[in-house]
Amino acid sequence: MSTRFATGVREVVTAALEEARRRGDRRIGTEHLFLGLLHDPGPVPLRALGVDLDAARAALDALDQVALASIGIDIQGVERAGIPASRKRTPLTSGARSVLERAVKEVAYERSRRITPEHMLLALLACERPDPAAELMAQLGVDRAAVRDRIHRSDT
Amino acid sequence: MEAGDLSERLRSHDPAVGLRAVGALHRLAEQVETASVALARQQGWSWEQIGDALGVSRQSVHAKYGK
Repeated sequence: MSTRFATGVREVVTAALEEARRRGDRRIGTEHLFLGLLHDPGPVPLRALGVDLDAARAALDALDQVALASIGIDIQGVERAGIPASRKRTPLTSGARSVLERAVKEVAYERSRRITPEHMLLALLACERPDPAAELMAQLGVDRAAVRDRIHRSDT
Repeated sequence: MEAGDLSERLRSHDPAVGLRAVGALHRLAEQVETASVALARQQGWSWEQIGDALGVSRQSVHAKYGK
């Protein structure tokens, strides 16, 4: 399967790994794939999103702060040290694996041969809460139907 | 905070929030540990003393933070 991934997709997964490590997460989840897609803001689908990497990282931090606040922990203003890189490998969550599988199906549906970051974005847009990428997109106010339309329109 | 307060707050919330808080706590614990280990080393603590304080072996602290 991996041979069918266009180079852009590998870069997105590598960027997602970087995001997971940066946050100290032990697995690559759909939210990291979403952040990974934003590393290269050039491609069409990302312009369709109207969100940049910094805004998305900040939104994810905001979700964490709200969750911590709900159990009475306030970390605003607390200086946080970087975590040393784990020597263990960082696997994909099952949600992230199914996003990649759905990206493969998007390709089959379009009858194209290579999986591009655009297919990954379409697969991420199909995520529903409580999926973490869906939560993140809701936090960012992404209009998923509108983004899907814009992507499909740019194809034709 | 009383334990009762906590469970009440969690019950009134979406489980996604509580579960996200757990993940954030894990990361926060790692960050506090990293900063505190660095400070302890600066102040001359041995790996053994740090390991004892964290409830883990000297070897495991050193493997994680030693350079």
